[in-house]
Amino acid sequence: MGEYESESVFEVPIGPQHPALKEPAMFMFKVDGEYVVDVDANVNYNHRGMEKAAESRTYIQNLYLMERVCGICSFTHQLCFSQGVEQLLEVEAPPRAQYIRVIIGELERIHSHLLWLGVAAHEIGFDTLFYYVWRDREIVLDLLETISGNRQNYAMSTIGGVRRDITDEQTHKAFKSLKILEERTKFYQNMIPRERTILKRGVGVGVLKPADAIALCAAGPTLRMTGVKSDVRFNDPYQAYGEIPWNVVTYDTGDVVGQVMVRVGEVLEAVNISRYALQHLPTGPIRRKVPRSVPSNETVSKTEAPRGENIHYGRSNGTDKPDRWKVRAPTLANIPAVSKMLTGGYIADIPIVLAGIDPCFSCTARVAFVDVEKNKRWFWSQEELRRYGIKWYGG
Amino acid sequence: MAEAIIDKLRGNIGAENVLEVKYPMARRIFVLVKPETFKLAVSYLVNELNFKHLTTISGVDLGEEFEVIYHLNDDTNELSLKVRTPKSSPRVPTITDIVPGAALYEREIHDMFGIVPEGHPKLTKVMLPDDWPEGVYPLRKEWTIEKIRAKLDGKEEKKKDG
Repeated sequence: MGEYESESVFEVPIGPQHPALKEPAMFMFKVDGEYVVDVDANVNYNHRGMEKAAESRTYIQNLYLMERVCGICSFTHQLCFSQGVEQLLEVEAPPRAQYIRVIIGELERIHSHLLWLGVAAHEIGFDTLFYYVWRDREIVLDLLETISGNRQNYAMSTIGGVRRDITDEQTHKAFKSLKILEERTKFYQNMIPRERTILKRGVGVGVLKPADAIALCAAGPTLRMTGVKSDVRFNDPYQAYGEIPWNVVTYDTGDVVGQVMVRVGEVLEAVNISRYALQHLPTGPIRRKVPRSVPSNETVSKTEAPRGENIHYGRSNGTDKPDRWKVRAPTLANIPAVSKMLTGGYIADIPIVLAGIDPCFSCTARVAFVDVEKNKRWFWSQEELRRYGIKWYGG
Repeated sequence: MAEAIIDKLRGNIGAENVLEVKYPMARRIFVLVKPETFKLAVSYLVNELNFKHLTTISGVDLGEEFEVIYHLNDDTNELSLKVRTPKSSPRVPTITDIVPGAALYEREIHDMFGIVPEGHPKLTKVMLPDDWPEGVYPLRKEWTIEKIRAKLDGKEEKKKDG
């Protein structure tokens, strides 16, 4: 142990495998009694070589590779890629395509945030809320299926526009669905700051200070819950965002309640943005023809993914394949921040704080508690740790 | 506005140290600086011009040298600060002392290109698996997918034998 005075400091590895989440990560916790004193994150279990693969595929093939960067926010990566290639070609998508992109992007944000809210509720043992929220999430998934034919991986964006139009019939259905989603989300927004279970598990838990959030380059709701007004849609408006009135949602507590309230607020904003975009959908073509080969150029394309700032750096070389395509998804940006948020907290809060950044890597196959001094170890599953968390709070 | 930022940068690190500037579209700046003044440029941009947010660090294989691109942001402009380093001995100074959030991204360019961020507090693998073969930097152009696959297959065989 060396650097720690107390003999009671234990090392607790969490990860790298867990069936409930999509990608593996490992967190090595040093704990003293109930307190986490140090965290070391390790995310190198699932390198898929996508950037290398992108170099040997054409731009059209890469559209579908990029859509599979993330399983939840698939559209934002496909959009960021198509937008980047359009920037390389120095063309813009037609106005109608830009509005459709905004609509799909916001519907994806609604489904992603509702998914997160359900998971967060489950992590704190509030399964009633989990069932309610996931039931409501079906409404937006149905809507996305009506428009694109898929609940996930919509394959909507392409280079130079979108692949499918939104019909009047679909718009009509969308207004109905958005109305129900708005009512439900307002109910949650009203209920959450007064709900005892959430307050007990959320107030002052996993706190991030604004100064730390900025220094550690945090992104998305994790940054905005500390009160920092930063959103790619606002700071660097892409597609039709510059023409649509909306507000950046921030909260000032920087804890789990802040994470929840920012995302719930963003669902409401997303409903408003989608509704406005549907009402003001410009007429005209939905895509323009673009050449297959891209002249030598370089670009930085950015979008606001549900989890935060998403950036693609692309470089073309005159062929139909990119010379280099770099992708940074927002979860990586939030790993230093979540390590900071976990330090000083309780073991019982690990699941909700980790879930708090809405990570897109997997979390806990098992938790091994290792007593280094006595050379003893025992294992807890994520479920056992979750139960321990709930029990520890007297649930 | 973008021009004003670059003028200030020129004034601070010296105009001869700014090798190349591009403004391809609104809110996008690409600037290449000399390696000797790179760290000075970072500290000036971050501390004086409010480019506090580092989005990520990209590496590009140019053949004989690498281009390392630091994507900095001041809430409006996306400034891509570039510096080049020879492939024979690729190294850049760490900027973790100026931007703590750079730690993971510097480890990433070390994994993928073998570019050493000198002075980095903890340079372990971040993207590639722990048992990834030494000296295989997958995003270098000479490491084609076939070559990487052959190397990894060779390792699998060894495991089976041993």
